[in-house]
Amino acid sequence: MSGGNPEGLPKDVGHRLEELERGLFTSDLSVNEFLLVKEAGFHPLGFVMGSSIYHTGVQTRRWSKSQELTKLTEAMYNARELAMTRMEEEAEVLGADGVVGVRLDVNYYEWGSDAAEFVAMGTAVKAEDGGSYRNVLGKPFTSDLSGQDFWTIMQTGYVPQGLVMGTCVYHIAHRGLAQAIGTVGQNVELPNFTQALYEARELAMTRMQDEATRLEATGIVGVRLEEKSHQWGSHTIEFLSLGTAVAKRGDEVTLPKPMAIISLDN
Amino acid sequence: MSGDDIPGAAFADLRAEVARAFAAPEGKTSGTDRGVTSDLSIDEALLLHSIGWEPIDLIFGASVVSIPVGIWTWGQGALDPASSAHAMAMTSASRRMEDQCASVGGHGAVGVRVAIEIHPRHVDVELTGTAVRPVGRAARRQRPFVSDLSARDFALLQGSGWAPVGLAFGASFVYAPRRTAGTVLRQSTQNVELVNYTQALYAARESAMERMQRSALEMSAHGIVAVRVDEGPMPFARHVIRFSSWGTAVALVAESHVGRQPRVVLALDDQVVQFAPEALHGG
Amino acid sequence: MTGSSVPEAAERRLATESFSSGLTVPDFAACLQMGLRPVGLVQGFCAMQWGWYGGAQSLRGLSPLGVGDGGYSRVWYCPHGFVSAEHPTWGQNAEQTWVEDAWAAGFDSAFARMLEEARALGANGVIGVKDTSRSTQANVTEFHVLGTAVKLEGAAQGAASDPWSTYLAGQRLAKLIEAGFAPVSVVATLSSVRVWSYCMTRALMEGYGYSMGAIGASGWAGGGSLGAAQEVDQVTEARIAARQIAKERLRQRLGGDILHGALVGSFVRELGEGDQVVECTLRGTRVRRFKDFDPIEAPVVTVRLS
Repeated sequence: MSGGNPEGLPKDVGHRLEELERGLFTSDLSVNEFLLVKEAGFHPLGFVMGSSIYHTGVQTRRWSKSQELTKLTEAMYNARELAMTRMEEEAEVLGADGVVGVRLDVNYYEWGSDAAEFVAMGTAVKAEDGGSYRNVLGKPFTSDLSGQDFWTIMQTGYVPQGLVMGTCVYHIAHRGLAQAIGTVGQNVELPNFTQALYEARELAMTRMQDEATRLEATGIVGVRLEEKSHQWGSHTIEFLSLGTAVAKRGDEVTLPKPMAIISLDN
Repeated sequence: MSGDDIPGAAFADLRAEVARAFAAPEGKTSGTDRGVTSDLSIDEALLLHSIGWEPIDLIFGASVVSIPVGIWTWGQGALDPASSAHAMAMTSASRRMEDQCASVGGHGAVGVRVAIEIHPRHVDVELTGTAVRPVGRAARRQRPFVSDLSARDFALLQGSGWAPVGLAFGASFVYAPRRTAGTVLRQSTQNVELVNYTQALYAARESAMERMQRSALEMSAHGIVAVRVDEGPMPFARHVIRFSSWGTAVALVAESHVGRQPRVVLALDDQVVQFAPEALHGG
Repeated sequence: MTGSSVPEAAERRLATESFSSGLTVPDFAACLQMGLRPVGLVQGFCAMQWGWYGGAQSLRGLSPLGVGDGGYSRVWYCPHGFVSAEHPTWGQNAEQTWVEDAWAAGFDSAFARMLEEARALGANGVIGVKDTSRSTQANVTEFHVLGTAVKLEGAAQGAASDPWSTYLAGQRLAKLIEAGFAPVSVVATLSSVRVWSYCMTRALMEGYGYSMGAIGASGWAGGGSLGAAQEVDQVTEARIAARQIAKERLRQRLGGDILHGALVGSFVRELGEGDQVVECTLRGTRVRRFKDFDPIEAPVVTVRLS
């Protein structure tokens, strides 16, 4: 990266963004989404992305109690943050108001079972009426809303502020698993398991909400919780909570009254 | 086709149509079809007709480009011969399809299926699609467009003042960077970004997208929609990673974008196949 | 084929009153609503062998092949000045008409047998046709066509002409008919083009880029320069020719009607040293316009809230 600054963009990016600034637009929105984004009063500027390859190794030990692996949590969070930040920087270069349809992917390659590539990609958009839609931090908003959901939420008078996420990597104690096997066949709650997974999910969601608070958002839409073991085996799970923080803006625009139909689109 | 809303009447109508279809005397043809061949489904054909276009004929494009021997063995950086072979194959195949399209009087091809196969010594591209034109219009002077848009998306874009210009695509191939043993030990307990790796893959991904953009600019397009990105190791050389991105290059042909306020609906049906002969009529 | 070539077992199966059908439940319901009553599952089968008969050659002769019946053939000549045992001075793309004719005979036999079974049931048509052809060992191909025979309510029984047939069934068939098209018959062809590579093709397919006249003194094997990417004209042309031939052969079976729902299959068999066989199958339903076309209005765009 330029000057050893991990936040800087590689120089190859320059050409591509220049072409986009000169007026060519690219977008990974489908045709439906493209037309709806236009209807919402925005124009796509360009496909933007950021990535970061992060070391995510963990030494497997038989911990005796379930606990959060804070170093791993930090790693997963930092890696995604880096990828998102680079994507936002590309959007800023284009002068965008926001990025829609953000996708966060994790790729594992064969050359390193303890490293993974985190990629964030989306389409940068700009409001056609010239108004500013940047968030309280002065950055273009990011959101994982589809074109359809973006149009719909804009009709309600709420505006996306940013993609918010919280993560927690939790290790479930081996002993807990052995106990579980002993109770196979009975209808019984597993208190250790329950406790551990409950706590992990709560941590992830709380962290996500903290991010929304920092953006001074009124709420979060489209929250989803993902659970992945990545390459760590089944006793270590990452809980990732994602959503789009929104804030009320201006007068409420009433969503047109919906009509009931039988779908004709096969 | 009477537009009655009573289900019984609608089905009676359909039966009458079916009986009429098979009652017509053998050997009578409309005469103007001239053995038209098309790979559009009936829904697509109807959508095309609803905006005043018609299918003409099935058309093809193909190209096989050689890749110089020895490039897949381990090296550094990008594999330019592979990307130029890929680009040449796509461009040549598209051009051949455009020529075929022009020769049958088409203004362009929609629903084009793109098949790209990369072998160790050659890249094969095969395109299959249907040439279309506005009903009854003669061939135009401009180069025909080749687009992988479905007839449905084509109809939507046309209605909003946009037209496809061609297939925009770009690919880049990069060697996965190696880590030395020393680096491995040092990094095993740290949470750290692997800067060299990031740089190499970032550059390769950007390069593929840049080539895609350039191919669109060469067609004088205003933008690219429905961009898809794909990446992964080459099946026969797993230390080489391929990035490709492609989409439909479009241009604004109307004075300005034609907005169409969508109607908001609450669908009452579930995901079960509905049988409704009235389904052919819009609105 | 003289007399009925449908096996006795089939005759027994078809003689029973109850029917079996390959239709899915929605397609079955759609069928009844169209006034088409399924009467039984019908099939036809044929195994064909070809290879050495008909003039096929697997070894390169001294000069290009003659291709009869106006079949596609194009010859390429080596631009270099020397001759050697390993340097093919000529190459040719040649249409293998005997393969195409044999495939057509096999498919037509299987198809005719299926229609015969349908006629034995007094059916007017066959819908939801599935057809598979596969090569089991070298040079043996099995054709199998299968469909649901239907009777049109109110139509004359035991029609004299062949039952009509289509790959479509259910809702898609209904839409086709509502749009003004009547299915006539399932149609399919195969095209086959043999590529005998000449020196340039062979070099390019091996990854040696030669430009005209740039042969080094070290000769042929391994002495080539690492050139830039180049298109392989001969092979590219074969790929396109195979598709064009399949389309034109199919068009001859349309009698001026339309081919709807074309499905293209393409197969390449590499024989080494740049030689290959390119084959292309094209299938679809021949349809006839039975009433003037009535285009639908442009549909309305909607956004769903569910």
